[in-house]
Amino acid sequence: MTGSREALPDVDGPGLTLGDRAAIALTEYREGNHQALGDLVREATPLLWHTVRAQGVDHDAAEDVVQSTWVALVRHADSIAEPKAVLKWLLVTAKRAAWEVVRKHRDDEKRRTELPDDSPEHPMALPAKDPLPDDEVLREERDRLLWMSLQKLPGRCQELLRLVSLADRPDYRYISAAIGMPMGSIGSTRGRCLAKLRTILDEQGDFSWT
Amino acid sequence: MDLTPEPNKDEEAVGDLSFDPKGMLDADDGAVLTRLAQLVDAMDPVPSDLVERSLFAVTLAGLEADLMEAVYLDAPLAGVRGAAAAARADDTAPAEAKTITFTHDSLTVMISLSPSAGGRVRIDGWAAPAAGLDVELHRPGADVVTVASDEDGRFSFDSVERGRASLVVRRTDGGGGAVSTPVIEL
Repeated sequence: MTGSREALPDVDGPGLTLGDRAAIALTEYREGNHQALGDLVREATPLLWHTVRAQGVDHDAAEDVVQSTWVALVRHADSIAEPKAVLKWLLVTAKRAAWEVVRKHRDDEKRRTELPDDSPEHPMALPAKDPLPDDEVLREERDRLLWMSLQKLPGRCQELLRLVSLADRPDYRYISAAIGMPMGSIGSTRGRCLAKLRTILDEQGDFSWT
Repeated sequence: MDLTPEPNKDEEAVGDLSFDPKGMLDADDGAVLTRLAQLVDAMDPVPSDLVERSLFAVTLAGLEADLMEAVYLDAPLAGVRGAAAAARADDTAPAEAKTITFTHDSLTVMISLSPSAGGRVRIDGWAAPAAGLDVELHRPGADVVTVASDEDGRFSFDSVERGRASLVVRRTDGGGGAVSTPVIEL
């Protein structure tokens, strides 16, 4: 992500969500205007990257999965029935491709090492590779607290909040639907996952977040 | 493949809440999410050229070539691209050949990248099964360069400028479709 995130996300203001912009980008691409799609690639690539990495895909392979997800989007630009669902389509496509990479990798490993407890039929069971809290990254007590609190949430809540945080405007409606946790039709409410994170943070002490 | 896990499990699992899930997002929510985004990015930064490579890959999508899959070996060679980038940033880095293998159905293409004069890159490639192939080198903002493979499936580009590139491989007899490598960083 760039360094231009100093400003708080404009959570209350009117305007388009990432899901809306994705829909517009696809519609314009179909009409021959490629500019908006380029903007979408810039904006949503971090979401795809972290989605793919959360499935346990290594660095180099994850780069190719993200790239081929964008290629798949333009190849299928005319067949995606509902432009409103394009952000979901991107996240699901990236996730599927990531699972495929993980499955192949496991098959290869199995061929090489014959591990008896390997279970390639359950690639989704692979735990996300959460980096351990790193002193370099988690310099501030506040950041350590935030990261540890996040780890206390159910896995899909963690995934949802990571992705939502990366969108420049919290966009529960599309992202939560994309990872199978519909949050209702209103895009700007807190939702259970964030409410729980706030609750845990609150229990940890009196920190100012703003 | 069922992509939709039961939505209610986590709803129950989160337990007691002192914040209202139906409440509107407030400034603290925004600040927590902003901080979280910074942590997520710091933990596992998006590769700096991934956006540009994706954009170039999108422009190549119109070539109607099937995308080949890059094959990465485990640890020792896992950083081929990172090493290439490091070599570019630091001229004192050891200049050694990097090898990447691409596959699509039965076709395998292996390329070896080595330094050539003037900070450029030499690409030596080998395709199997051996067949007459036209190999196109696509780079952003540059004309396409095409070379033909020899009867053993070998081809080379002597001196290529560093940067993003993709190879598109077509059989000279017109059999089979074209295939392309993912966009790589030379």
